[in-house]
Amino acid sequence: MSREAPLSVAERDFILKALQENTRLDGREADQFRPLSISFGEEYGHVKLQLGKTSIIVRISAEVTKPRDDRPFDGLFDISIELTAMGSPGWENGRTSDQEASVSHVLDRVVRHSNALDTESLCIVKGVSCWSIRADIHVIDYDGNLTDAACIAVMTGLQHFRRPDAVVRDGHVIVYKVEDRVPVALNITHKPLSVTFNSFNDGRDIIVDATLKEEQAAEGELVIGINSGGEVCFMSKFSGAPLDPLSIVSKVNVALEKVKALNAQVDKVLQVDLAKRAKLGMADESRAANDR
Amino acid sequence: MVGPTASLSNLHRADGSASYKCPATGFAVLGAVNGPVELPARRDALKPEEATVEVFVKPGNAVPGVGEKYVEGILRDVLSTVILRREKGLPRRGVVITLAIVGGEATERGDSYLTLLPALLHAAQLALISAAIPLPMTLATTLLGVTRSGEIIRDPSPAVAKAATSLHAISFSSKGHLLMNESLGRFDFDTWELVRQQAATICRGAATPGSDGDAAMGGTDNAHVDGFVRETVEDHLHRDYNWKLESI
Amino acid sequence: MSTPLILLPGDEVPKDQLPHSKSNNPLKVGPGLRLLSQPSAKPTSSNHVLTATQAGILTTDAKRNNVSILSFSNRRYIPAMNDLVIAQVHHSSVDFFHCIVTPHTAHALLGQLSPQLKQGDLVYARVLSVGVGAGAEVEITCVHPATGKAEPGGMGPLNGGMMFDISTGMATRLLRASSSSADENEGVDGLVVLSELGKKLESIGGFELAVGRNGKVWVDCSNAGENEVKATIAIGQCLQGTDEHNLNPTDQKKLVTRTLKAMKL
Repeated sequence: MSREAPLSVAERDFILKALQENTRLDGREADQFRPLSISFGEEYGHVKLQLGKTSIIVRISAEVTKPRDDRPFDGLFDISIELTAMGSPGWENGRTSDQEASVSHVLDRVVRHSNALDTESLCIVKGVSCWSIRADIHVIDYDGNLTDAACIAVMTGLQHFRRPDAVVRDGHVIVYKVEDRVPVALNITHKPLSVTFNSFNDGRDIIVDATLKEEQAAEGELVIGINSGGEVCFMSKFSGAPLDPLSIVSKVNVALEKVKALNAQVDKVLQVDLAKRAKLGMADESRAANDR
Repeated sequence: MVGPTASLSNLHRADGSASYKCPATGFAVLGAVNGPVELPARRDALKPEEATVEVFVKPGNAVPGVGEKYVEGILRDVLSTVILRREKGLPRRGVVITLAIVGGEATERGDSYLTLLPALLHAAQLALISAAIPLPMTLATTLLGVTRSGEIIRDPSPAVAKAATSLHAISFSSKGHLLMNESLGRFDFDTWELVRQQAATICRGAATPGSDGDAAMGGTDNAHVDGFVRETVEDHLHRDYNWKLESI
Repeated sequence: MSTPLILLPGDEVPKDQLPHSKSNNPLKVGPGLRLLSQPSAKPTSSNHVLTATQAGILTTDAKRNNVSILSFSNRRYIPAMNDLVIAQVHHSSVDFFHCIVTPHTAHALLGQLSPQLKQGDLVYARVLSVGVGAGAEVEITCVHPATGKAEPGGMGPLNGGMMFDISTGMATRLLRASSSSADENEGVDGLVVLSELGKKLESIGGFELAVGRNGKVWVDCSNAGENEVKATIAIGQCLQGTDEHNLNPTDQKKLVTRTLKAMKL
């Protein structure tokens, strides 16, 4: 039985009835996200994100490898998500579920195919060596809206990550340790995020950041990938009840507003953390100087 | 030396969970346990009278490979011996243990998982306790490295572990059974015996084996691992039941 | 009472902690403990000890002469005889309704004696039998075994309302609190959230509540008229808040006041 327990009739009816009165179970507005908290681990690119009761850990890593033959100027960038029984008892270990495939598809489109990470900047020697960047997503607690949470976490991780510095000398690639040379930030071209909408009651009620129970009661889903500049890089309406085109247009505006706010919050936590690291780094250096 | 830290029941969806972090080795592991749950029928065909224990190890920044499968086997064997798999509600069901490596140096392909075993086992056992899976006893694990000069080092850092001539991950139950003995490198019997003795002291305190578990829990440098497990669990229960404890 | 005793798996229960009952009732050993015989020097007198199999607080009840372990409250529910549960109909067969009591474990069977139900309906039921041996099926019933006690909601289908998830530990506390007459200020098991909600919501028509040992609580405020949705959500939030943050009685009262204010009730 590898899926979430179905919603009872009472729960579904109540959620729908409450939405007709513009009320959500946790008292939020229709276009309000749950409280978002982001923190960082010791290493660069280690992000812990919590959106309500949905928790995600993202780890970014880099290694030197050979570029693909058909794209000698490009580095590699992969996003890997694997849903384990840790996030929900309904997920089975070692087995790909539809949900995993759909989240991974959205991330691929919104982050990778929109070129949020400039892969050309990852090239070291044309056709010989380049950086391969990996984003590993660990879903440790699942209570709805996995897509948006994973998207925010990956984008935050990419902005936080620092790869080791590498130079080419006499045809050899030298990779410096993080201790020896200040590591390099990745080249981020723009900051797209996804915003998932769920529709209820024949499209009359549309909400963002649904919890698991709200997702289960929903009749349709709309995902919009958009950056702070208002450029839509992804839109999907795979299944579920039809939506009025006008409401889709208006939801793009809502998505833009949300992405701006989310990106502002991400920028803030990034700045705070990097400032903290700079301070620690300075303290370390002065201690080292004293030792000498 | 900074001791390890752990906390219990941090996750909402899993039946039990624990996080374990060892500053000396740098490893951090998050463990989750679901159980007893229904497993697809094919898996319980062998022994319907007891629960099947499943272990899944998810590396921090790589796709699970052969190394993970190997260590899952070791963990499944050790943990199966400390789960009462025939207790009420467990037969024909499964206990699913998921361990995610969330901190520490990445193990490269082909690297041994030996250094990670203590962190994985502690996270798994604390998560089992948090899920109230019936256990006959607790277990304690330690990692010891033997340097070229013959010195035995507890919880060696990744650099020291790499330079060591031999590495040993050893588990003792709270009753004093040797539950796991995984070694790597070159060593002789005398060295192993020394390592075992030291591991016993680290895991269970200085008490002579065979006496009951009430060894002195001194706050000395060498606070033993059994005591650490106990304190972690007690701390959490005090918080969980403060409504009860306050009224007493 | 002295400080509570916390046991870890494998720990022995000290003999002096066991209840000393004057009656001849045998000692009842509850969940989390098991009886082991230790071989002793003389083969005739075996030495019995109780050891813990779960970590938790040792609790004893001298009146009923039982001893058990209060373990982690987030644990998964395992059906036991006579437990009250909220089951959800999954599908029906010729003889039974197959119901979900604990997600991701086998369905419990509900006899067709009960009223007609459809998929997704909720039923307040009692665990009739858990079977013996491996793979035995759990049977539940809503035909009330005559107890004479008036329980809120009663057995049978739960229509309308809303179901909230709580921890199994909290469900046990709520059931104890609703089955015994509470001391006004202390409450049973340190729970005052229900009586507080009862007092505050009386004016709008009160509410009905059913608690299932499987970590479910069903709330119905259909008497509250236009406030129905708000009141239901408020009750759910108060119960879940008390559960998640292990609130003490004072904080429970504060939570109730704050939540009702936020909901404008």
